[in-house]
Amino acid sequence: MSDAKWITQLQAVLDCPVREHQLPIHDWRLLSSEQARQPNERLQKPKTNAVTIGDYVSGPEGATWFALEQHADHVHVLEINRQQRLSEMEIRLIGWAVNQMLAESSKNYEGFSESERYASELGTWIDEQLDASEPKLLLPDRLISRGRLFSSMIPFLLVCEQAESGRASFGELEKLLRTFLAEDVLIIPLKEQEWLILGPASLIHDAQSGERDEEEEESLEESLASIAFGLHEMLASEWMGDCHLAISHPISPANSIIGTTALLRETVHLGRAFHIGANIHLPWLLHLERLLNTIPEAHRIKFVEQALKRTDAFLDPEILTTLETFFALDCNVSETAKKLYIHRNTLLYRLDKLKQETELDVRQFRDAVLVKIILLLYKVTKRA
Amino acid sequence: MAGVRLEHVYKKYAGTDLASVKDFNLDIKDKEFLVLVGPSGCGKSTTLRMIAGLEEISEGKLFIGERLVNDVAPKDRDIAMVFQSYALYPHMNVYQNMAFGLKLRKFKKAEIDKRVREAAKILDIEHLLDRKPKALSGGQRQRVALGRAIVREPQVFLMDEPLSNLDAKLRGQMRAEISKLAKRLETTVIYVTHDQIEAMTMGDRIVVMKDGIIQQAASPEELYNHPVNIFVAGFIGAPSMNFITGSLAEAGGAVRFKANNIDVLVPDGKAQQLREKGLIGKEIILGIRPEDLHEEPVFHEASPQTIVNAHVEVAENLGHEMFLYLNGLGKDSVIARVDGRSGVKEGVNVKLALDMNKVHIFDKESELNVFEV
Repeated sequence: MSDAKWITQLQAVLDCPVREHQLPIHDWRLLSSEQARQPNERLQKPKTNAVTIGDYVSGPEGATWFALEQHADHVHVLEINRQQRLSEMEIRLIGWAVNQMLAESSKNYEGFSESERYASELGTWIDEQLDASEPKLLLPDRLISRGRLFSSMIPFLLVCEQAESGRASFGELEKLLRTFLAEDVLIIPLKEQEWLILGPASLIHDAQSGERDEEEEESLEESLASIAFGLHEMLASEWMGDCHLAISHPISPANSIIGTTALLRETVHLGRAFHIGANIHLPWLLHLERLLNTIPEAHRIKFVEQALKRTDAFLDPEILTTLETFFALDCNVSETAKKLYIHRNTLLYRLDKLKQETELDVRQFRDAVLVKIILLLYKVTKRA
Repeated sequence: MAGVRLEHVYKKYAGTDLASVKDFNLDIKDKEFLVLVGPSGCGKSTTLRMIAGLEEISEGKLFIGERLVNDVAPKDRDIAMVFQSYALYPHMNVYQNMAFGLKLRKFKKAEIDKRVREAAKILDIEHLLDRKPKALSGGQRQRVALGRAIVREPQVFLMDEPLSNLDAKLRGQMRAEISKLAKRLETTVIYVTHDQIEAMTMGDRIVVMKDGIIQQAASPEELYNHPVNIFVAGFIGAPSMNFITGSLAEAGGAVRFKANNIDVLVPDGKAQQLREKGLIGKEIILGIRPEDLHEEPVFHEASPQTIVNAHVEVAENLGHEMFLYLNGLGKDSVIARVDGRSGVKEGVNVKLALDMNKVHIFDKESELNVFEV
């Protein structure tokens, strides 16, 4: 059971808010010494200087804090906020629960290397925040202090297709990525078969450097895309086979790891839904898909049916491939014909045929936009 | 090096009853250059990806050499892949790109260096070893991708449309180079393409696929001259084989093929086979390749009973040959490939002799070639 689940359980049993909190060490000591002066008040007298896990102090407004971990300037506590005073029995039980919670989370990492233990702890925390109704956006100190999370890093989200991942493969993946990307790459396991990878931002410079002739300088997004394609190629051939990979702009993980992980997860989800067969998903290319994804299923189907006189016009794989290529090449007829190895007139014939069947001429901007939307919606609605 | 064997292989995706690849059986010999060809969606790339280990096999067995590899990870299959969407490692130079797989497999530095330099020499990219991918042209990148596969010295090379991102000229050049390379390396190659010119020129054997099913697996010559059904006959050859629906009639001991504006004699050998198969008096589909319609007088004299008249709708002169788009023969347009110096013009009527020894007859219902069943 994760820490969050322990807290939810306690909240349900005690019927009051329970949360993790940081109490300045000075406040802890003050409250602790006040508490020590009150006879018969306490079940267990906390020592005034050293803090033991499960120790508690009571605040003036009904809050009770149980110590989880002591730091130099603060105590990481579990705050129980109930108007009604906790009974002796409840205090004992909460103390026991706190010890169980901490013992369980440390027991889970037995046999892990230091880097894997840290990565797993970080992954669990990220996962908890992403599942929480009110996620914390800043990393807690205990996780920052052991990482390199203030420097600029490139975030990738890797989702495996085949069941070879998991705890056993952490070491192998770490070794592989250290060889491939950089020694200081950070791999964070999230859900089963899902990994957040933080690579150094210097990769962008490495990818951009080299001899260039008269070519224009590569944009940041082009560099990131080429890094993602290279990484995917390497993982497919040198590790576990096929996988999905999303990449985003460099971030400072300490401040934005939750938001970025959420973005990357959404990117993989959208990429898989709207672009079957694609394995590398780039958030800056999925704006339209993100918008369309918010439309309820029934509305999508209705729209597609209304927009087309014959819904089977897009069933023809030849038309689908033609339109996808045509849009990918900015509606350039010559380039599309070249890419498809067909004569320009053949392409024009196909587009005219589509126009006859649907009354939509994709050479016109307005109709092109509409067909692009129909195509995206059609792909997700036909599988529903 | 090793062969590859697929036994009753199926690929089904979750949530669908339809199989993308159905009962695929094939024995690919050691050192064979095998080409999988077919229209988009026919299952050729899925088959290759199953061999690569990038797609799970739903049913059936896959052997590389004598080893069953259904559950073996791609990296442990001793294969090397070059795909259409090949991507180089952008932060590494050409040398590092080629050496990476070997470095990962803990090869000694000297051995890595030897293999990389040898591959670079074969591919003529020795002068590019220090460059980053960004500084390379499309053709050079393609060579590096090939080099990365070559240095592994795998048992099997898998290539999925590796030339489709190149322009026509470079594609022709690389096509020849890959063929040479395969012979030089003496390795098994499985090559996927939708381009029948690549298939015909590169493959020792070609597998034509449609709807996830093997239609025919044979040498290029066999496929061209003895297609087993209408699909293979129409898919292989450019321009495609002409198909004319008509009927077979017998009078005075001679069998004739009759259709709109066509009444031609079927040669004795073929006529006998048609009689034995009970096709006389029935509707069939006649298939004839464009080069088997002749406008030269010498053919007219030799085969007076196979002459037809047609109207030339379009004449495309390519210099060394000319394509005539004819109407008036059967329901659809018929194409003839004639000499570029024949002087035939658009809009005229032309006499053509059909080489009836080269025609194929297809059953109208099963679409099978009745001479090949």
